[in-house]
Amino acid sequence: MVARPEKTAGVAPDLAVKLCGLSLATPLMPAAGTLAKEALDGAKEVYGAMVPKTVTPGPRAGNPPPRVAEVPSGMVNSIGLQNPGLERFLKDLHVWDVGLPLFVSVAADTVAEFAAMCERLASDTKVTAVELNLSCPNVEHGGLQFCAGPGTVSDVVAACREALPEKPLFAKLTNEGVVANAVAAEGAGADALTLINTIPALVVDARERKVFMRGGLSGPAIKPVALRMVYEVSRVVETPVVGVGGVSSGEDVAEFMLAGATAVQVGAGSFVREPREMLDEFVAYLRENGLRARELTGSI
Amino acid sequence: MKLHEVEVAARERFGNHALLRYRWPGRIPEPGQFVMARASAQSLDPFLPRPLFAHDYEDGVMSLLFEVRGRGTALLAEEDARLLVSNPVGQGFDTDSGGLVALVGGGVWVSPLKLLGKSLGRAGIACDTFLEIPATAPQGYAAWISESYPDATLVPTEGTPDPSRAVLDRLGALERYAAIYASGPAEMLDVAKRTAAGMVPAQLALRERMACANGSCYGCAVPVWKSGERAYARACVEGPVFPAEVLAW
Repeated sequence: MVARPEKTAGVAPDLAVKLCGLSLATPLMPAAGTLAKEALDGAKEVYGAMVPKTVTPGPRAGNPPPRVAEVPSGMVNSIGLQNPGLERFLKDLHVWDVGLPLFVSVAADTVAEFAAMCERLASDTKVTAVELNLSCPNVEHGGLQFCAGPGTVSDVVAACREALPEKPLFAKLTNEGVVANAVAAEGAGADALTLINTIPALVVDARERKVFMRGGLSGPAIKPVALRMVYEVSRVVETPVVGVGGVSSGEDVAEFMLAGATAVQVGAGSFVREPREMLDEFVAYLRENGLRARELTGSI
Repeated sequence: MKLHEVEVAARERFGNHALLRYRWPGRIPEPGQFVMARASAQSLDPFLPRPLFAHDYEDGVMSLLFEVRGRGTALLAEEDARLLVSNPVGQGFDTDSGGLVALVGGGVWVSPLKLLGKSLGRAGIACDTFLEIPATAPQGYAAWISESYPDATLVPTEGTPDPSRAVLDRLGALERYAAIYASGPAEMLDVAKRTAAGMVPAQLALRERMACANGSCYGCAVPVWKSGERAYARACVEGPVFPAEVLAW
């Protein structure tokens, strides 16, 4: 149980958290691929770090539409990592500089490509940390996700660790086999684990009798799954966990931190509610309970 | 996406079409822009707000005309629903055409042409309006449309050999127009694009599935030509109105 000191009405609660040695002004950050450079107004006042959309070694056109489908309490997306490629991304990196630590999310087809990206990012002073998107297909292993098993997780994290010795390295994992994968990522040198990516999902069009979309499920529908993964993983690893999945309120932020997250990413929830409102609700929660943000982590 | 709770001034229904009017103290919409709308702040199911064209704006009252298709739009059309809407967003019609223009619409998707017609009128730009009345239109819709667009030529498609061509065929010689602005079913927009190609600039208002509506999620991808190569644009920030020649379909 969390010790509950006397309520400190009127005093702004302390939102700061420490993540991999970095001081973040708030525990919130956008989930990769859910905040565009066109939508950065006010970001500095809400988030503790900035996470741009996942970038790949070369440009990717993305998948043909349809790319989004609504499902009960959530959505399925199949965007296909549309992005301009690493070099173009780095040329435009200044647009992401809003005065927050910058965590760059990367994906690649092979371990060597992942490592090469990390090496490139290691020398860019604007980049604070790197998050490995391990839900992308591993071309050398028949298109299975990199996080399909601890072996490949270990391989890719170890290679990236070597290429990025000085900066925090995050491994973002999906829900399947998450505990074993998390242990493997930690063993290979990851500084933090981001849990969870979208959950593999299928949308069927019964009227047309065809698959409408094969993609990733996000939104409130996945929150209980993500909470469970954060809870279980944070009990078996030493590295901090960044929780993500269905966050759409301040109470959701608190729940993820109580379950074990040091920081929390907001993804699809930001499409339907202002992250500012979620942060205000989180502040109200802390005030009501007389707590500092960092005291929540893993306290249940 | 910031959504604002607004006061609904009126609701009308024509079969599966709905018209919502609400008091809107915010940014005045440009023709072709859209808003994101949802029925309740309390529930996140349905999860996503719906992108709906700004149909009209007059004296602080905005209106949305849309088809009731699924749970989200059905809730929006319900009598006692509270309404949450975003600011009007997106790239609308470029009205700097320099001559007589044609407005071409079909079905419930005539929606953005009302605001466009008013804007052109204020700018002193003459326009001819042709609106398709599909065979599936609900009862009373044609009468309402002719009241709402009093200067429009109504083109019923019932009995025509190719309904997707019917309204374009009524335009006659396209050369007399400085621009064509179209908003209608996908098949009609396709015909408008092909008919106008090389003859007259056309702008098409597209309807795409959207999630974030601010460029973040890349969900509303539209195939376009960029520097001679096929690429995907985002309808929410680079559209929803596109020059026809840019569209790669």
